Amino acid sequence: MSTTTTATTTTKLWGGGRSPFNVEYGKLMMWYFLMSDALTFGAFLISYGTIRFSTNGWPDPNKVFKSYPFAAEGVNAPLVFVSIMTFILIISSVTMVLAVQAGKDMKKKAVAINLILTIIGGLAFLSCQAWEWNHLHNEGAWWGMNPFPNADGTASSTNFTNYFFTITGFHGFHVFSGVIINIIMLIMTLTDQFEKRGHYLMIEKAGLYWHFVDLVWVFVFTCFYLI
Amino acid sequence: MSNEAVLHTHSGAHDGHGDHSHEHHHETFITKYVFSQDHKMIAKQFLITGMVWAVLGGLMSVLFRLQLGYPDQSFPWLEDILGKWAKGGHITPEAYYALVTTHGTVLVFFVLTAGLSGTFANFLIPLQIGARDMASPFMNMLSYWFFFIAGLVMLCSVFVETGPFSGGWTAYPPLSALGDASPGSKTGMDLWLISMALFVVSSLLGGLNYIATVLNMRTKGMSMTRLPLTIWALFFTAVLGVLSFPVLFSGFILLIFDRNFGTSFYLSDIFVNGVGALPNEGGSAILYQHLFWFLGHPEVYIILLPAMGMVSEIMSVNSRKPIFGYMAMIGSLFAIAILAFLVWAHHMFVTGLNPFLGSVFVLLTLLIAVPSAIKVFNWLTTLWRGNIRFTPGMLFAIGFVSLFISGGLTGIWLGNSALNIHLHDTYFVIAHFHIVMGVASMFGMFAGIYHWFPKMYGRFMNNTLAYIHFWVTIAGAYMIFWPMHYEGLAGMPRRYYDYSIWESFKQFQGLNQFISLVAMIVFAAQFLFLFNFFYSVFKGRKVTTQNPWESNTLEWTTPIHPGHGNWVGEIPEVHRWAYDYGKDGVDFIPQTTPVGADESHH
Amino acid sequence: MSHTAIHEDHSAEVKKEVVRVTIILSVLTIIELALGFFMMGIDAPGTRLLIKGIIVILMLSKAFYIVAYFMHLKHEVRNLIMTICVPLCLFFWFITAFLYDGNSFRNLRNTYDPHYKEQSTIKVEKKELKHEEKKEEAPVDTQRRTD
Repeated sequence: MSTTTTATTTTKLWGGGRSPFNVEYGKLMMWYFLMSDALTFGAFLISYGTIRFSTNGWPDPNKVFKSYPFAAEGVNAPLVFVSIMTFILIISSVTMVLAVQAGKDMKKKAVAINLILTIIGGLAFLSCQAWEWNHLHNEGAWWGMNPFPNADGTASSTNFTNYFFTITGFHGFHVFSGVIINIIMLIMTLTDQFEKRGHYLMIEKAGLYWHFVDLVWVFVFTCFYLI
Repeated sequence: MSNEAVLHTHSGAHDGHGDHSHEHHHETFITKYVFSQDHKMIAKQFLITGMVWAVLGGLMSVLFRLQLGYPDQSFPWLEDILGKWAKGGHITPEAYYALVTTHGTVLVFFVLTAGLSGTFANFLIPLQIGARDMASPFMNMLSYWFFFIAGLVMLCSVFVETGPFSGGWTAYPPLSALGDASPGSKTGMDLWLISMALFVVSSLLGGLNYIATVLNMRTKGMSMTRLPLTIWALFFTAVLGVLSFPVLFSGFILLIFDRNFGTSFYLSDIFVNGVGALPNEGGSAILYQHLFWFLGHPEVYIILLPAMGMVSEIMSVNSRKPIFGYMAMIGSLFAIAILAFLVWAHHMFVTGLNPFLGSVFVLLTLLIAVPSAIKVFNWLTTLWRGNIRFTPGMLFAIGFVSLFISGGLTGIWLGNSALNIHLHDTYFVIAHFHIVMGVASMFGMFAGIYHWFPKMYGRFMNNTLAYIHFWVTIAGAYMIFWPMHYEGLAGMPRRYYDYSIWESFKQFQGLNQFISLVAMIVFAAQFLFLFNFFYSVFKGRKVTTQNPWESNTLEWTTPIHPGHGNWVGEIPEVHRWAYDYGKDGVDFIPQTTPVGADESHH
Repeated sequence: MSHTAIHEDHSAEVKKEVVRVTIILSVLTIIELALGFFMMGIDAPGTRLLIKGIIVILMLSKAFYIVAYFMHLKHEVRNLIMTICVPLCLFFWFITAFLYDGNSFRNLRNTYDPHYKEQSTIKVEKKELKHEEKKEEAPVDTQRRTD
């Protein structure tokens, strides 16, 4: 562990000739990239908040997101489907942590299994999202179309669906690219690339990205479905 | 296994690679000059691309100055080169707005962001911190090529049927969001957005690399407080870019949706002539302005900070004195970097921004005067009683300080929301930001080029041409932008096509003509520089010593023509800060010299 | 080798931590959902606001657990933690200024744009009914509002 080996003082850490954070540059870049990406998502969500604050009424999410696959017509089950999606993502994050840890222990098989589970989780999440989008689209919701009235029964602007599709779409795009990255990691693991390198640091970076996707969902989920 | 163990094997491998780099690098023309991964070559690519864009952007300003200075005259040759955009030798209003917009975009993003920090961050960071290359040379290469493609797309937009985007470089909706709003808002705007998106990617790739390199790849002994101020400035620049460009990116994505997918993020209550009332409801055009300026304000510091850093370094070297207040310089850079994010709405005082919120932004904005003043006084005290060598680089550095003071002071006026009611969108603003951000950073860039040219190409540039270039440019810059203050105070708005039809602004006809004339002369003078640059690359006087400026920093310990990997053999170790000039009676002590037993403390 | 033995110990420890964090995250999510359900029956704006505030706090604590443990940030060098957390303080002003101005924009419009104010008080009963019945026609007439 990095913390145990870091018995050095601050001045020595920053004295040059080494990383002051005990991390290789790739991980550093990944962290700062994620910060940058956090600002992208932040800007989206804050824009959403700004528009919501500048509008008199807003649709009630519980009247919009209230169905789930194979449900009967006109079922009223708010929050059910989205909580399933949330748990799928949390669980896939857990398997990713296990994959990273297995990588640190140099256990190839465990890495591969956990990566596969993570990929399945990611695909499951994407399928859920696809179903939800399709369902909403059938109800007449899309970019520029909003069939849902405000909570107080007045006419709503289209910005509710505009933001919903844009932000969940952007998040879904991140999940998708995360799945692609994980598939690449899986292939690299199975072809022994990391064994040859002697370390699984790439998995760690892919893991950071995957957790970030989960992190963003925490915010998206709260902003769109709960409040 | 610990992280650190991995690190050591990793960096060990890296060093080993560097040592033998001269033997097993079979470079072809393509890998050496085109898809190069050598930071020095990438820097030169950025520089030359930036120069091409500077010429194009400058030419645009000459064209629209022609319209402003001589609104009644016709220039048949304009029709020859611009075709339908200059019917009868008159630049059309559409072309005028397109020229203004493209001039702004190109100069701000392609020249002063990519051309300036792209060039010098790439060139100086590895050389001055003692690294063989950037943390990720491959991403560095990608950064350049994304920038290059962004430029190509922008160039294409100039040639489309409906013309390039013409709603101002800030691209405010609804003009930018509605294709029906103006000819330039059609394909031109799509290409503009694509180009800018690519540019954001480029700057992100570059910025992450610069940050990781400065943090992780410093040579032994190069602690953060021994870094030259150039590196500090470029580091903060990269941080600003990484944190602010994504917000612009989000803003652009929303804009793309508004343009193409019927959303109304920025649109509400709009009536377009010939189209009628639009169905879009509920959006807010101010939201775009918030998002844009959340990048836009840090962007002006992204432009300015590298110039500040280079000026600090060049000034210290050529005054033969340590930089005055090294820690204060870092502190003020840091303060500027923080404040850069807190003041964006001072660009929006009269947009309908909440006045109370505006007053908070006034306070924060005026705070910027503090670190800026610290920097100015530190530069002046560095010059004070120095043993000044007036090299061209030094002249441009001093010119930078002069311009930064003149332009910065008017910023205090503009930062007041009450004064802003009168001054907003007038030529006063044009004068302010051109002096403090545009020309000043351009001077920083010239200073950097003249100073580091010997390191880049192993030759000197011609001094006589450089002196002429300097004096024409600084005199011209003041002659162009100083009168604009008066025009602005008189209320003359920016972005108008023809002032001669306005009773209140007719009086400035002569002044406008004078400004246009000087602008043309200054533009012509830049060709002296270009000739000097390209001539000197091939035919300039050769550098014969490793350290022609007798400078302390690490880049001058490399061979005159450093190969990929920069140092032959071991990377030197650093024992002191970069500013030991005139210490204990010694003219200069390079950073690689160990601290002697009888040396005084600074 | 004792080295590997230490590692076995360590990775068992990590697994324990992962299980703990997973449970915490699940519990937090369940509380959030429970609050969400609870909120459906409440109309008083004050109470709703309070619950929303609690949900936001829960959201932030979830974010903390993900970043600190899953992303491993808690076990990094202190300075790295600082370089990541301190710049994110930017969000305070980012959020405050944007939302404050958004709110102000609404007040401005309600004060100076009577048409807007009037429009936003007209109920669309018809549409709601249609929505209740569901099905296809809804999109057609709702996307081009009733001007």
